[in-house]
Amino acid sequence: MKSIFALVVIILAISFESVGAGDNLKTISLPQVNVELREGDGKAKTVTLCAVCHSLDYITTQPALTRAQWTGTMNKMIKVMGAPISEEDAGIITGYLTKQYGSGN
Amino acid sequence: MMSDQDLSRRTFLKVAGVTAALAASGGVPEGLFASEKRFARFPEKTDLIVLTSRPPQLETPMSHFRDLITPNESLFVRWHLANIPTSVDLNTWRLKVGGNTEKELQLSMEDLRKFEKVTYTAVIQCSGNSRSFFEPRVAGGQWEHGAMGNVTWSGARMKDILSMAGIKAGSVDVSFDGLDRPPLPTVPDFIKSLAIDKATEDDIIIAYEMNGVPLTMLNGFPARLIVPGWYATYWVKALSEIVVHTKTYEEFWMKPAYRIPDNACGCVPPGTTPKKTVPIHRMTTRSFVIAPAEKAELKKNVPVEIMGIAFSGGYSIRDVIVSVDAGKSWREASLGDDKGRYSWRQWFFPWRPQKPGTYTLMAKATNSIGESQPFEGLWNPAGYLWNKVEKTPVTVR
Ligand code: HEC
Repeated sequence: MKSIFALVVIILAISFESVGAGDNLKTISLPQVNVELREGDGKAKTVTLCAVCHSLDYITTQPALTRAQWTGTMNKMIKVMGAPISEEDAGIITGYLTKQYGSGN
Repeated sequence: MMSDQDLSRRTFLKVAGVTAALAASGGVPEGLFASEKRFARFPEKTDLIVLTSRPPQLETPMSHFRDLITPNESLFVRWHLANIPTSVDLNTWRLKVGGNTEKELQLSMEDLRKFEKVTYTAVIQCSGNSRSFFEPRVAGGQWEHGAMGNVTWSGARMKDILSMAGIKAGSVDVSFDGLDRPPLPTVPDFIKSLAIDKATEDDIIIAYEMNGVPLTMLNGFPARLIVPGWYATYWVKALSEIVVHTKTYEEFWMKPAYRIPDNACGCVPPGTTPKKTVPIHRMTTRSFVIAPAEKAELKKNVPVEIMGIAFSGGYSIRDVIVSVDAGKSWREASLGDDKGRYSWRQWFFPWRPQKPGTYTLMAKATNSIGESQPFEGLWNPAGYLWNKVEKTPVTVR
């Protein structure tokens, strides 16, 4: 039953791309895509703070980056994009990313 | 604000092959999702590879490039900021044109359609196409080769629009902003600029049609900038405002983002930082074997037609040479229909493999001003300009 409901939701989502209102209004609705991060210390903070501006697949689709590269990405998110993340939390998240999504050096 | 986690119950995602089967059985091994390709169907799109979902970055599978023209539903998607337009009402949408101009314009779609309509076919390619092949790896969208497509665009000349507004003396740059908005006010808005001389070239258009119909929402409805021959970072989607500037426009997405080393190859020794950079601009020359596909199995003594595509940054393709023996020997391919210097060109190469074994197919294109492709990938820190001669392994049985 649940799966039938899910299917209906999917079909609605896909077909919602019509042009209505005298053909001048165009509306789409975006599908939701689930992203699961790897288990590990710091996951909770990463999930909360890194999903503010974009989906977490920005993290999971990166190649295995070095510690320097993850630190560089963290700096970009905080200093350039203005991610509201304290220094302490940044340390925890960098540790998590380096361990779970890092190249090992 | 909802996190991705909250939305998981409403997930609809078709995950490729093995991952889907494992997920259904509840046994997804740690980390598998990170390396497997995920597919999803977004509005007005067919199943595309999902790099990221919010904002969407969707890649086209290579098999779609058999066609000379890439169907709208197949074309890749790349946004920068999470607040992308999902609803546009043409009754209220206006394209503002102003800054250092005689007049300020507020163009409706009806107004745009009154300018002379220009149509041509042009390759659209993301600056970071093929980034995932860089070694050492670099951060950013991990595209394979599918952040490209060949589309017939129609729209109004930028030049005609700017001359209606009246460009005043002292104009240097023109900036382009779209309806996409930063998720937090601290995030730099996505605005790109072109030098005034570039912006007023004959072939720069504001397109309101792709392949003869209005743009898809995810590709920039209702209108986007087309800078044929140049990377798509300039092809600002869902245009809302054009401003003429008396100074060089250098906000975040022009500097430090989207820059290449300031030298002939746009490259530096792997892992190093360039001393001086310039904004990325014209595309490098590329070619691909599209069929047979990578890892295809062929039969000995059965003729096959190898086909592929070739394009360059605005200069027509002079020739494509093909090798079936990993680059030891080369012969010229025959070229398909010529749709102009901005389009890609199909090429064809008949082959009859005589012995079983593994073969490496390669293609190398040269354009009309002699630009070609290197055999080894050139490196730069942002992962741009990739255009090495690719290798397509196939097996003959
Ligand atoms: C304030 C908004 C904001 C927050 C919060 C944020 N990011 Fe980003 N991030 C961005 C933007 C905007 C981009 C897109 C850049 C582009 O498309 O070129 C991005 C891109 C990325 C990328 C792709 C690589 C790159 O450099 O473009 C990675 C990886 C990433 N973010 C990781 C993170 C992580 C990890 C966190 C949590 C610490 C985080 N982000 C939090 C705004 C943010």
